[in-house]
Amino acid sequence: MSVSYSAVGWNRQKKHYDWFIAGFCVLYLAIFITVTAIVNPDYTFETALIRSTATLALLLLHVILSIGPLCRLNTKFLPLLYNRRHLGVTMFTIALVHGSFSIFQFHSLGNVNPFVSLFTSNTQFGSLSQFPFQSLGFFALIIFFLMAITSHDFWLHNLSPKVWKTLHMFVYLAYLLIILHVMLGAIQYETNPVFIVMLAIGSLSLIVLHVFAGNKEVKKDNIQYSLQKEGFVYVCEADEIEQNRAKIFCIGRERIAVYKFENRLYGVHNVCKHQGGPLGEGKIIDGCITCPWHGYQYLPANGQSPPPFKEKVSTYDVRIEDAKVWLHPAPYAEGTERPGAILNF
Amino acid sequence: MRNKELQEFYIGWMEKAPVTFSKHIKKVLLLLVVVVFAAAILLAVSQKKFSSANFEFGTLTEVKGVYYEQPVPCIKVVNGKDIFGTSSYITIPLLGFGKMGAAGVISAAKKEKNTSFNQREMTLKGTLLYNDGKLLMQIDSNDKPFVHIGSVASADLLPKQEDLGLLQIKGEIVDPKCYFGVMKPGQGKPHKDCAIRCILGGIPPVVRVTNEEGATNYYLLLNESGGAMNEAVKNFVAEPVTITARAVKYDDWIVLYVKQEKGIERYSYLQEKFGSAIQYCASTCSK
Repeated sequence: MSVSYSAVGWNRQKKHYDWFIAGFCVLYLAIFITVTAIVNPDYTFETALIRSTATLALLLLHVILSIGPLCRLNTKFLPLLYNRRHLGVTMFTIALVHGSFSIFQFHSLGNVNPFVSLFTSNTQFGSLSQFPFQSLGFFALIIFFLMAITSHDFWLHNLSPKVWKTLHMFVYLAYLLIILHVMLGAIQYETNPVFIVMLAIGSLSLIVLHVFAGNKEVKKDNIQYSLQKEGFVYVCEADEIEQNRAKIFCIGRERIAVYKFENRLYGVHNVCKHQGGPLGEGKIIDGCITCPWHGYQYLPANGQSPPPFKEKVSTYDVRIEDAKVWLHPAPYAEGTERPGAILNF
Repeated sequence: MRNKELQEFYIGWMEKAPVTFSKHIKKVLLLLVVVVFAAAILLAVSQKKFSSANFEFGTLTEVKGVYYEQPVPCIKVVNGKDIFGTSSYITIPLLGFGKMGAAGVISAAKKEKNTSFNQREMTLKGTLLYNDGKLLMQIDSNDKPFVHIGSVASADLLPKQEDLGLLQIKGEIVDPKCYFGVMKPGQGKPHKDCAIRCILGGIPPVVRVTNEEGATNYYLLLNESGGAMNEAVKNFVAEPVTITARAVKYDDWIVLYVKQEKGIERYSYLQEKFGSAIQYCASTCSK
């Protein structure tokens, strides 16, 4: 939410987050390599490095993919979401170390270019057991690379939130490629069931979390608001909405947040212009609706970010009759001033 | 008032997270650290044992012996006699730098010295790699590996051949450079691409066979007429294969002369053990 692009300010929370990630990664790699060296005195450092970075990147990917649904289920996880892109860039860097070392180890110093070797050494694409699994990891790494280099808000703004979000949803394709990369590679070599069991636990956990979070959203979206009058839809009683907070209503596939602020109710589109965060789960702070995901702010009366910022969301008409809240689902143009409905008690 | 308002709402750009949030996150991170570090230990101890192969990277060793080019470029090093008075020796196949065979280095040296090397006494300098009773040597032009080229060796020093007849074995084709020293693992699926690249670079393919007692034997692979068959084995590397070939023993190595067609076939343990049962099930189901 900036008009010009300056270096990201590392506040206290961000510093703690980044220090924790760095310490966590260094400690993980140290533990894995040290234990490998103790258990296998014949180990080679290159192999230990390739394996430690592979397992760490995969574990981080699971953490990254868990954060979204965990925040949908419990907002107390939001501090993990705010700087999630730092975790993503870290995961990419570790995956890059794994990929670079693997390409060097397995494909360099041969009779062809290492990247040519990657796609021409094993060409058994029609065989499941002999499938060239390294190419899958390579394509996943390309996706992570595109995500990492576009993780700054500069790209979010220039690509548009829709394109940016679509690009970043490719993380799920990358995850699938990585699972296949592991299943058709290391899992076919290792004989200890620990590897496949851990991979299955990780994947199942992600599926369950996403299903639960999705189910929660679907339940909310499926609430029917049948009582209508002059285009307005009855949504709730006025006292059901807390001061400076909102309730979200899904009418005609569109989510609308109704905020209570200074004795009035305001209707705004629920989707934040930054990364599509749920504005209705935010709070009014300093007179602005504040998105719970990254703290983007909008004025409740007109859906505009306070100057000099330029983000705008649609506004809606709200009416109160006998302490009942009625909402008109037709949106006004983004940033249109609406007076809001005055609470009579 | 404002502070109270913020107690239950998290905003990332503020200096401090609300207490309830930070307490929750601390608990979650503590749990995450314990789980992930336990996973790190579990994954590390669950890895397959690393082989005891060795590659003396950075160390050059000189060996003196008889060089010969057939079946593959080797140097036979005689190191004394055993208790029965028989000459004790070891045959060291030669390999190039990186994922390349030794052919390039040898032909460049021959051109430079303008002489034939075959069956001559020689001192070679290179990097040794060894495992499971086999010794190999990497020679690199930069190291000037041909230290001394002597006279033609006496006949008793040349490799003794013994025809072992037709042999059928089940095993895995590996590239000997990685398997006997450079990589761990130097076999199996994760190493498949590298093994193919090494073999296509001219490193002679070797088939690794483990018998029912767990003993492992190694065989060099050549085509029926004694030529290299590196291209032909490309699609069979690092997977279970059955090889039918004429076997000839050259001192401490056995060479398999493989027919181009049907000499190497894919082998499935499941198919062999349960093939008839699978066929029976399939025919019963189809009825």
